[in-house]
Amino acid sequence: MSPLLTVLVVLAGGLVAGAIGSLTGLGGGLVIVPLLTLLLHLPVPEAVGVSLFGVIATSTGAAPRFIGTGYNNVRLGLFLQVAASSGALVGALISHKVPARLLFLIFGIVMLYSAVMSFMPTKHDAAGAREDSPLAKRLRLGSRYKRDGQWVDYKVAGVAPAFGIMVGAGFLSALLGIGSGVFKVLAMDRLMRLPFKVSTATSNFMIGMTAATSAGYYLSHGDVSPLVAGPVIVGVLAGAYVGGHWMTVLPVKTLRRIFAVVLCFVAVDMLLKGVGI
Amino acid sequence: MSSRLEGQRRFINLWILRTSIGLSLVSILIGLGVFLAKGRDYLPHTPAGSIASIIVDACQDALSLHASAFLDFGMLVILFTPLVRLGAGIVASMRARDWLYVLIGLVVVALVSLGMLTGQAGG
Repeated sequence: MSPLLTVLVVLAGGLVAGAIGSLTGLGGGLVIVPLLTLLLHLPVPEAVGVSLFGVIATSTGAAPRFIGTGYNNVRLGLFLQVAASSGALVGALISHKVPARLLFLIFGIVMLYSAVMSFMPTKHDAAGAREDSPLAKRLRLGSRYKRDGQWVDYKVAGVAPAFGIMVGAGFLSALLGIGSGVFKVLAMDRLMRLPFKVSTATSNFMIGMTAATSAGYYLSHGDVSPLVAGPVIVGVLAGAYVGGHWMTVLPVKTLRRIFAVVLCFVAVDMLLKGVGI
Repeated sequence: MSSRLEGQRRFINLWILRTSIGLSLVSILIGLGVFLAKGRDYLPHTPAGSIASIIVDACQDALSLHASAFLDFGMLVILFTPLVRLGAGIVASMRARDWLYVLIGLVVVALVSLGMLTGQAGG
């Protein structure tokens, strides 16, 4: 593939990844890593390193749209980030010791799980928990967000189990080059019972910091090609900007399900590569 | 946090994000333009080593208008954006005398910095 074509393919992939990542909160890494490994045949650590930069760009590009809406709970994001960054640090440290086929297998399983969970109904959508848990009360995690032009207070439950899940989410983020948004959103949505848009925006805030923890590792390690990372960042920034804007007007649930079907196909391809077929 | 401090925090956050997006986009687009104009002989090299050494290399490449300088700069801007946002959050928490979140923010800064240092050491 010529350098110009490579740049254009990666740019287009970044655009799609950024839009999907910011719209669904699932993170663009699920698009970028398969694109780089399956289509451009990049080694897994290099694809992961580049993808992490795409994940930071997704978070950065979508963030301006959330400012002033109250969707992003900064206190909660910071507290959970301690767990996510710890997991990311461990994931980055062992990343070069894990065989590529095993990474393909894990990636395929994570993709399938993400796809299946997208079809599950969100019981607490836009409602929130009734009471703050004792830890949430102590950490003052409850907040408010704008819904139909009105500020709505919400409470936070299940802080400790969600903290544990964030360690795993950070670990997978560093190992696979994904934002792990699906785990973060699910933990906040189902365990902490946050309104869905609060979960999505807070996850978006967190995935940038989680990815930065391990992206610095991959960059210093010499795994990030600027000729690939550059177009990914440009594409993702543009896509995330558009996706962040559409988030408030498009039927997000429908989009998540369409994306989930696409994920299933790519996941099967990754799993086949993992088992050597 | 008072509404005045909250308003300032939002303004600074927005400014950081827009500056970061603008700088990164412009820098990477110039880098790609230089590379495509000059051709394969100017294939950008993959940075490695400490973040400080990557910055020094990018500055040296910039003097010869090498595509690497612009691409590396754009990547570094993106890499440091979450840290800068975090720093702004810590300052806002300090102004609000919210010491618990100052401490939590500093722990996260330490973890992110550790990631960069361990990569340099070959992890």
